[in-house]
Amino acid sequence: MSLEAEQKLASGLKELLGDRVSDIKVQRARSIFVTVKAEDYKESIRRVIEKYGITHISTITGADSGPTVDVMPHLSHAGTKITFKAAVPKTAAEIDTLTDILPGAVMYEREVHDLLGVKFKGHPNLARLVISDDWPSDVHPLRKEYKVIRPEPIRKT
Amino acid sequence: MTPMPEFSVIVGPQHPALKEPESFTFWVDGEDVVRAEVRIGYAHRGIEKAAESRTYIQNIPLIERICGICNVAHTICYTQNVEYLYGREIPRRAEYIRTIIEELNRIHSHLLWVGIAGHEIGFDTLLMYVWRDREVVMDLIEEMTGNRVSTALMTVGGVTRDITPELATRLRKGLDILEERTKYYEKIAAGESTILARTKGIGILTRDEAVRHCAVGPTLRASGIKSDIRADDPYAAHDEVPFDVITSDTCDLFGRVVVRVYETIESIKQVRYCLDHLPNGPIRIRLPNTPPRGESLSRVEAPRGEDIHYVRSDGSDRPARYKVRAPTLGNLAGLVEMLTSKGNYKVHVADIPIILAGIDPCMCCMDRTARFIEPSRNKEWVWTWDQLKRYKRRSGR
Amino acid sequence: MTPSKPLRFEHSTHFRSGGTLGLVSWARASSPWLIHFNSAGCNACDIEIVAALTPRFDLERFGALLKGSPRHADVMVVTGTVTRQTRDRIIRIWEQMPEPKFAVAVGNCCVSGGVFRGCYNSYPGLDSVIPVAAYVYGCPPKPENIIHGVATLLGKIRGS
Repeated sequence: MSLEAEQKLASGLKELLGDRVSDIKVQRARSIFVTVKAEDYKESIRRVIEKYGITHISTITGADSGPTVDVMPHLSHAGTKITFKAAVPKTAAEIDTLTDILPGAVMYEREVHDLLGVKFKGHPNLARLVISDDWPSDVHPLRKEYKVIRPEPIRKT
Repeated sequence: MTPMPEFSVIVGPQHPALKEPESFTFWVDGEDVVRAEVRIGYAHRGIEKAAESRTYIQNIPLIERICGICNVAHTICYTQNVEYLYGREIPRRAEYIRTIIEELNRIHSHLLWVGIAGHEIGFDTLLMYVWRDREVVMDLIEEMTGNRVSTALMTVGGVTRDITPELATRLRKGLDILEERTKYYEKIAAGESTILARTKGIGILTRDEAVRHCAVGPTLRASGIKSDIRADDPYAAHDEVPFDVITSDTCDLFGRVVVRVYETIESIKQVRYCLDHLPNGPIRIRLPNTPPRGESLSRVEAPRGEDIHYVRSDGSDRPARYKVRAPTLGNLAGLVEMLTSKGNYKVHVADIPIILAGIDPCMCCMDRTARFIEPSRNKEWVWTWDQLKRYKRRSGR
Repeated sequence: MTPSKPLRFEHSTHFRSGGTLGLVSWARASSPWLIHFNSAGCNACDIEIVAALTPRFDLERFGALLKGSPRHADVMVVTGTVTRQTRDRIIRIWEQMPEPKFAVAVGNCCVSGGVFRGCYNSYPGLDSVIPVAAYVYGCPPKPENIIHGVATLLGKIRGS
């Protein structure tokens, strides 16, 4: 399968972002992964969405990678998925919010905050989205350290 | 806004039709809703964490039950995501079979929605008629897969059941009936004054708002945006099966009804095309238990919109990370926008149930508790869905 | 003819056969009022319950009516996994229902946790939270199963 269009887009991104990009990979047809540093995260995304007129963010995936948490917004440009990847250290899990440049990110950042404990600086309302109210605030279920504790039955069957 | 004493009335969910628990808070000024807030999470089950401790094959039934109604979309998204990790193509016949069951699933989901929307408007007859006709597609799905709802047809590497020529004949007969019935609903949806009165101008999400809030699916297309994953980022057999992307310029609830009814007709055509052009060959390939290290992203157009999955493999037989973003979460921000009065656009309390139903919510989230805050009269109260709908009928809308 | 709400007689003065309990049991079994609660389900069971109400299966011929308020219901039909968030709601609704009351667990998730058994947010079945009178297995159970479950429960009520 020819990946010409994707390669062209990848080169365009590399040219636009220059040193901010530490890795760029055409994963398959219509899917590109761009790795940036946490401090360049917002600026890189801002440049890309301005240049290519991107308005759609599909979601933001957070993934525990050992000492770090990867924050991965997935953008959509004319059918191609462009995923940015930035790693933040677990002990200081903070990164800039995208909600001022991509309003659609508002729910997704809340979800990553709930489940992985990443704080999005500047988010309008980082309230709980999916986790129950009685869940302890310092426990983030999708971190690898969290071992599943099953709820205790209230009555014996 | 001064903080108000909270008094919550304990409520229970009652709607026979829609989904799961969720909580809304509405700030009102008389009849108009000025602000809305959503609190989801009542159906948060811990699926993504569970997926990390099960093998790729064991995860298929888990992913299938993220949403019973669009279970096909989730399983296709999952299995093709894992197949992308292997970097292997599945047989063409399997892709066509996936497309067939996917479109049958879309037909059932949209017909379900038309019935529910009818019920929310107060048009119970429509619910009964549509659901009776929907049984045709449920029977077709059961013939094809052995189950009415959770199809269990997908596996990593292809599909588990084939389509025989006899089955294909029965499918075609069923499709003929469905097409005739859907055309009848098309006439009703477009011409019936009750439906028009209760859907036109309701739940407006302008084109700009839809784009800004990253809406997906029929909600997006009803605001005039021509965006459909099957056309933009084709998967399964959608690169070969012709279809039209249905949009509507009305940006309101009526547009969403129209888009879904016409999409049902398009789906029927697509299933026919697939049956007529079903390629020969095997229906699955065997893949080893452990995919190579890497990550992959996969999207499908579920009945409710764009469904996107992410997988990361560390070279073992279990995913290191599996992430699912179901379509309704993508429409939540747009929903809040639709529920906010601004300028000449007034959102009445009576319209809340049908606006909510309009995005076809499938997110374990419809608790039937709606909390209302009216700052000007210093009032706060909680209504159940039933109370809200009875209010709607009393107010004559 | 719409079935009327069963009357609660303190003393049976007019009804000759069966006595007080006989009348009330008969009335209850002939016209159970259901309340449906969707816990954290995937909705498959819910749409099969709704399908059971539609013309092809028609649960209403048993006199079973779906009602909104727990205070009027005899039977609570629960679908979906019980999660931490829904547990308190289920208990509250259960407590609001007047005696005698019955709970029906519909679907594997409600019966024993289903695919979600072992997840951090899911209880292992409805009976770990409230007492259950009837279990309808399936993932999801077909409308015929659901009707069978309700009919079995009605048989239990009649027998009581």
